Amino acid sequence: MKIALAQIAPVLGDIARNLDLHLETIEKARKAKVDWLIFPELSLTGYRLRDLAAEAARDPRTSREFKALRAAGRTMSLVVGFVEESPREPGLFYNSAAFLHKGAIGHIHRKVFLPNSGMFEELRFFARGRSFRAFETPWGRAGLLICRDFLHLNAHYLLFAAGTGLTIAVSAAPGRGVEGREGFASSRLWEVTGEAAARLTTSFIVYCNRAGFEDGAAFAGGSFIFDPFGNLVARAAYVEPDFLTAEIDPADIRRARRAMTFKRDDRPEVTLANLERIVHRDED
Amino acid sequence: MKINPAVVEKVLTAFIREEMGKSGFKKGILGLSGGVDSVVCANLAVRALGPKNVIALMLPYGRGFGADLRDARDVARSLKIKSKTIDIAPMVDAYFTRYPTDSMLFKGNRMARERMAVLYDWSAREKALILGTSNKSELLIGYGTIHGDLACAFNPLGDLYKTQVRELAAHLGVPERIRDKAPSACLWAGQTDEGEIGLSYAQLDEILERLVDGRETKDEVIARGYPRKRVERVVRLIRNSEFKRQMPPIAKISPRTVGHDFLYPYDWNK
Repeated sequence: MKIALAQIAPVLGDIARNLDLHLETIEKARKAKVDWLIFPELSLTGYRLRDLAAEAARDPRTSREFKALRAAGRTMSLVVGFVEESPREPGLFYNSAAFLHKGAIGHIHRKVFLPNSGMFEELRFFARGRSFRAFETPWGRAGLLICRDFLHLNAHYLLFAAGTGLTIAVSAAPGRGVEGREGFASSRLWEVTGEAAARLTTSFIVYCNRAGFEDGAAFAGGSFIFDPFGNLVARAAYVEPDFLTAEIDPADIRRARRAMTFKRDDRPEVTLANLERIVHRDED
Repeated sequence: MKINPAVVEKVLTAFIREEMGKSGFKKGILGLSGGVDSVVCANLAVRALGPKNVIALMLPYGRGFGADLRDARDVARSLKIKSKTIDIAPMVDAYFTRYPTDSMLFKGNRMARERMAVLYDWSAREKALILGTSNKSELLIGYGTIHGDLACAFNPLGDLYKTQVRELAAHLGVPERIRDKAPSACLWAGQTDEGEIGLSYAQLDEILERLVDGRETKDEVIARGYPRKRVERVVRLIRNSEFKRQMPPIAKISPRTVGHDFLYPYDWNK
């Protein structure tokens, strides 16, 4: 399976230009015979929207932009980041990512863990998602995470328990720290987490970050793919936009799980019973 | 759009008093053009701090705008505040003699920044904080010079539309002549705000209030019967002037960066 990571720099708040950027990238991917093309977090809108979130919000079932994306993506699968507002919940804006497959919406994940400290203020503008669900793809069961979701262990575990072998994480992670390594120091957090998650869940970990600047904050780039053994398959440029393609073999999930039996040996009922106790019975 | 001017007066005089106290200043200073904004601001400052603690600078360019200067002087006299007139023409002309231009915009911006420079100098000489006089209408559409008339220590008028400033002016007893004259930045002869903006403040403020306070979308405002072109122009003016309402961006590279995640209150340690 050929996977591509579009490490783009969307224009903040300009959906028309970002749609063009998506369509051009899809065309590039089509020529490269890509099966699955991943865009970063809020790829259609840009990240630091603040009050623009309301204007940028779309219902993927009816929006003009999604119609164009679904038509363009008929020959491949896509993951696209956007602000979601459904007519059932007017005025609630979700930081969402959609899995589009053969022109249909296969799955939507709403970001669960919204960072709201330091330079982040997502809880001021977005509503929180409530679930991590697996969904079917031609390459097996997969799960979506958005940026900070990726840094919460339970998000990885819930997808693992739900039977995924492919975790797709889309991100708009800024860079900080310039003490010597290639790229920003903060990229290491994502790479270490990615490798650990790949090994401990015996899954492919696909991480698509973005590039560019918004209001002075630099996005770190450095998108990557780890295979279920924890080997780095490919890594995109740091800081700059890039288009990374890689061949991956979904059969590696089976091979890794025969060698490392974490999935077979997992006992979600023990996790559940202990969580029940921790959440409901223990005082602290 | 309606305000209760008595409540607004109470809030803004309390604000002025508290900002001064927190910063350890007794006196306030402001540029007094003779227009309704600066006259209202001077009135509020006098009510908050007393006439002895308010200084007005009249900063005309040469001999133009004599009527406005007279209005400003009358106001200063009736408020019993210390005032000083400084002609900015020698400073501005010195610059443009060396670097001539025909652009009224360049000249106007340079004048606004000269007034700022003079105000900051006298602010230091008099140990007085500068009161800003930009109203909400101007701030939202960016009708002001960055580092010029937009510069100040704090701004009591920034959340009042021009229409509301006029209402407050009537309550404060500002003469009708000043309330009713055509607003002007006084940068060149015949310049009026409404001529430059392309619509009257009454029209502008109605649209702004719907877009900003009412959170209506552009299309919703148009659907109410406002001319499409007018609404689109207002939206464009707001969008294109955000840089005037914020500090400039800093490239974040370190673990903690001014403006990004080094975040302390403005009132820190005051």
